[in-house]
Amino acid sequence: MTDPVLEIENLSLSIGDHPILKDIDLTVRAGEVLGLVGESGSGKSMTAQSVMRLLPHAARTAGSIRFAGEEILAASEGRMCELRGDDIGMVFQEPMTALNPVKTIGEQVAEGIRFHRGLDRAEALDRASQMLDRVGLPESRFPLTRYPHELSGGQRQRVVIAIACALRPKLLIADEPTTALDVVLQAQILDLLRELVAEDDMGLILISHDLGVVADMADRITILRHGEVQEAGETATVLREQKHPYTRRLAEASTHVPIWANAQTPPDGEKRLLELDDVARHFPSHRTGLFRRGEPTRAVDGVSFSVRSGHSVALVGQSGCGKSTLARMILALDRPTAGTISFDGMETSALDEHALRPARRQMQVVFQDPYGSFDPRQKIGHSVAEPLHLMDKPLTRPERRERIAAAVEEVGMQPSDATKYPHEFSGGQRQRLAIARAIITRPKLVVADEPVSALDVSIRAQILDLFARLNDDLGLAFLFITHDLTVARAITHDVMVMDHGKIIESGRTGDVLDHPGHEVTRRLIAAAPDLQRAIQRRSAGVR
Amino acid sequence: MLSYALRRIVIVVITLLAASVVVFAVLEIVPGDPARLMLGINATDDAVAALRQQMGLDQPLVLRYFAWIGGMLSGDFGRSYTYSVPVIDLIRERLVVSLPLALMALALSTAIAIPVGVFSAARRGTAADTGVMAATQLGIAIPNFWFAILLVYVFAIALRLVPAGGFPGWEAGIGKALAALILPAIALALPQAAILARVTRSALLDVLGEDYIRTARAKGLPARLVLRRHALRNALIPVLTILGLQFAFLLAGTIIIENVFYLPGLGRLGFQAITQRDLIVVESVVVLLVATVVIVNFLVDLAYAWADPRLRRR
Amino acid sequence: MAGELIATEHEDWRHFVGKALRNRSFMAGALITVLVVAVALVSFVWTPYDVTKLIIADRLQAPSGAHWFGTDHFGRDILSMIMVGSRNSIAVALIAVGIGIAIGVPLGTLAAAKRGALDEILMRASDIVFAFPALLSAVMITAIFGPGAVNAVIAIGIFNIPVFARVARGGALALWPREFVLAARASGKRAGLITVQHILPNIANLLVVQGTIQFSLGILAEAGLSYVGLGTQPPAPSWGRMLFEAQTMMAIAPHMAIVPGVAIIVTVLGLNLLGDGLRDVLDPRLRRQR
Repeated sequence: MTDPVLEIENLSLSIGDHPILKDIDLTVRAGEVLGLVGESGSGKSMTAQSVMRLLPHAARTAGSIRFAGEEILAASEGRMCELRGDDIGMVFQEPMTALNPVKTIGEQVAEGIRFHRGLDRAEALDRASQMLDRVGLPESRFPLTRYPHELSGGQRQRVVIAIACALRPKLLIADEPTTALDVVLQAQILDLLRELVAEDDMGLILISHDLGVVADMADRITILRHGEVQEAGETATVLREQKHPYTRRLAEASTHVPIWANAQTPPDGEKRLLELDDVARHFPSHRTGLFRRGEPTRAVDGVSFSVRSGHSVALVGQSGCGKSTLARMILALDRPTAGTISFDGMETSALDEHALRPARRQMQVVFQDPYGSFDPRQKIGHSVAEPLHLMDKPLTRPERRERIAAAVEEVGMQPSDATKYPHEFSGGQRQRLAIARAIITRPKLVVADEPVSALDVSIRAQILDLFARLNDDLGLAFLFITHDLTVARAITHDVMVMDHGKIIESGRTGDVLDHPGHEVTRRLIAAAPDLQRAIQRRSAGVR
Repeated sequence: MLSYALRRIVIVVITLLAASVVVFAVLEIVPGDPARLMLGINATDDAVAALRQQMGLDQPLVLRYFAWIGGMLSGDFGRSYTYSVPVIDLIRERLVVSLPLALMALALSTAIAIPVGVFSAARRGTAADTGVMAATQLGIAIPNFWFAILLVYVFAIALRLVPAGGFPGWEAGIGKALAALILPAIALALPQAAILARVTRSALLDVLGEDYIRTARAKGLPARLVLRRHALRNALIPVLTILGLQFAFLLAGTIIIENVFYLPGLGRLGFQAITQRDLIVVESVVVLLVATVVIVNFLVDLAYAWADPRLRRR
Repeated sequence: MAGELIATEHEDWRHFVGKALRNRSFMAGALITVLVVAVALVSFVWTPYDVTKLIIADRLQAPSGAHWFGTDHFGRDILSMIMVGSRNSIAVALIAVGIGIAIGVPLGTLAAAKRGALDEILMRASDIVFAFPALLSAVMITAIFGPGAVNAVIAIGIFNIPVFARVARGGALALWPREFVLAARASGKRAGLITVQHILPNIANLLVVQGTIQFSLGILAEAGLSYVGLGTQPPAPSWGRMLFEAQTMMAIAPHMAIVPGVAIIVTVLGLNLLGDGLRDVLDPRLRRQR
């Protein structure tokens, strides 16, 4: 066994009086991938920042972090500058903001090379070009003079990786490197990281909230909760045996399938609630001259489908495939360029705001971000009651209060919560309240745009249960917009796959996901991290 | 990039035209007949009518507007009612005072403010930062004409280092002319420098919170290099915006400072012309200043595109 | 996380007050502003001396026990004049801010709600107003329509309109794509109702902060206009006018210039500190950055 690249012993960290990390132990060897797993607030990112010594000013550390035998917590800032970017590289979560918008990608990759190696500009750019080639951005197609805004999210993350790995560091820290990307891009970036680790014999700390991703990538795994290590060991052993109760809870939550009575037999099957006929939405493109514009972008390009009442349907696809634009048109928040949308017998795409009221009453929405869903200046009760604005005659005060209480209780919260403000609730609670708002008018359809992708796995499982129950109890039809196939599998009858503005495949969820007929669907399925599959593969590898 | 510039130019032209209409319209509704004002209350009606005809005041409004605009475009700003000389000559002789004054003040303000702002941002939260920020708070609150009066008292009256007011003209020698301008320039520059330093600091602090600063730190660059190579250029846009606004302010804001120092500048010309109802001069001065503001803003827009590649495509 | 976030509305308000009490800028600014306003109010019922009486025998006295800030060249008590003058400064600046908010905010929120051609026209119009150097234009307006406090208010107020329109539009534009606004739209609420219920309460912070800034700029502008003789007219005392009169006496009675200047500085400083403090206390985004 090789010497450890990184050894963390008894690392504790506090900011002010708040302890953030408590006695963390962790070891990484060359060529090894260590998965650092935990839910939000578990201290994974702080651990990474401690290694880089890029902590907030108020943070106080204790314990020991040794990099190749050298004590990092005692190193001078000058020594840290020598280590960072040369021996230790770091990749961040948000590729859209991790690059300086006013510098070319070539300059940004070359900068660290010049600084650490003292090369001249041309030599450094030459090496930057080689590195960008290694991460899949060959100079022939991606000239070094490109600016970050000219690249997609996945391409930008490749640039960030090129910066981190340009000098072949001994240790790479990747903090949620794929969380902001869709599953297909995620798989590509993970493949790239795996390749780099193997070629350069790096140690990699992969920080993630997604057990599936870590199971797939990591040789060993450390599970954090509230700043403490819960369990650590070989990935295969830890995840197969699930000895620690928290590990078991995490694993169960990430493969959770709700108990759902209507799963096989959707109620009241025949009535077509929502119908789209050849719907298209084009956006004007950038100007190419003073008065000229390029070809318009066809975000949605001739989509036809229907959703029957009481059915739960998933619309899946990579980011940028047009699914969110489509959702906005269904909700009559945007109008199609061409085609018609009918809901409950009304042609909503042709109605004005007043005539839309009956349709809006029957059709509500749940958004992805539980933090943006509520007006921070209004009490929750106010926001939850907002759709009651659509009732034909205004409700009396007691009636209104009763409706709010009923909706809030329906999602498992207390009626007294209505008098609180949004910031008093956690993300999961807010998502419940957002669902309460969506069902307060007893609608027939709820459109949910990535409703669980911003939530921790344990919360996510609870919200999926809630959706299942609402379908069983209220006969609500759902349209889930998601790039996450596990959501589709857990909670929908039918699935539609969207790509480049078109629906390329649809059918019963089980049929489509088990026997995909289209290349794009196959790619989506292959890319989706799957905990069970990963554990099986690991166990086979270990034996 | 070219189409970006072209579209900006179209906007500049439209803004200028609209502004000229506003100026023309406002001065049209001013009470008082210019011809009557020029000839005095004892003039006969015939004499006034004759002068009105000579000045073109009997023409329809629209025609007069186009005649005025057309004249301005060909460099003919008309003749001053009170000075009886071409307005263009008046403006030219005042501009050689106001323009150097504004440029001196701008240079002074920038030279002080940017280093101070960077210094303060780099030492955020320290006693030095707090002290500098308190000083800039005070600087913003000081009315520049009051500061000017104090400067005159200290440097001209008490210490007798520079003249208390007036302008000897450039023909008296560059040294003497500059000596006459130095106090007004300082009076104009210091309050502006206080604003600019604060903007520089807060723009830098905003940028320093961005993710790409962390990326640059993770490359191993020391904090001061990150500040210089990554933060400064990204902080430039708000700083440029304020610089553009300040040039306009300095050129027009001289109106009061020129009064304190008895400088024969553009602001004072405009001020006197207003009180004497010399409308043709007022129109010309205002349109000239508006044009300067609009063109400076245009240059600032171009500078944005230089500073931020994302804007080049729009 | 969840535990520490549970708090009643009452405690939330107390939290805000606590935050404000701990903010040094806010406290200093609020103290000065309250003091200045109090002085202005007191001047309605009491001043140490009558500012309309000219007592030539007492002229140009240096500060003393009888006249804390000395007397001017007509023998008037400068402290009394500062007190009465503060009314004009505050009134002119405050009404000018009122004009800016009353016209600018509806225009800005409307532009953000409707976008398209209307937005473009309103923004171009504000560009045109911005193209006029504010001080020169204010001088022009007061000179043409007659010097005096009322025209000074209008001249300063006009230039506040596009300022508030821009701030309101910018804030509103950032809110319209937010999910809670989309939810309100999905609840069938029209743009006007959404603006009143969601947009305005959420941009109130920005407007209050901008209001204090424009207030202090208004004080400076009023002083400038009065200094060149176009603002508040004599015999009503005004800070700017006092500075003008002091200028010729500079060599023999510098206190005549220093006192009104300090009055202006203290008032403007107080308002700026209050604005800075309010921004820190009210804006959660900025709070997080510190």
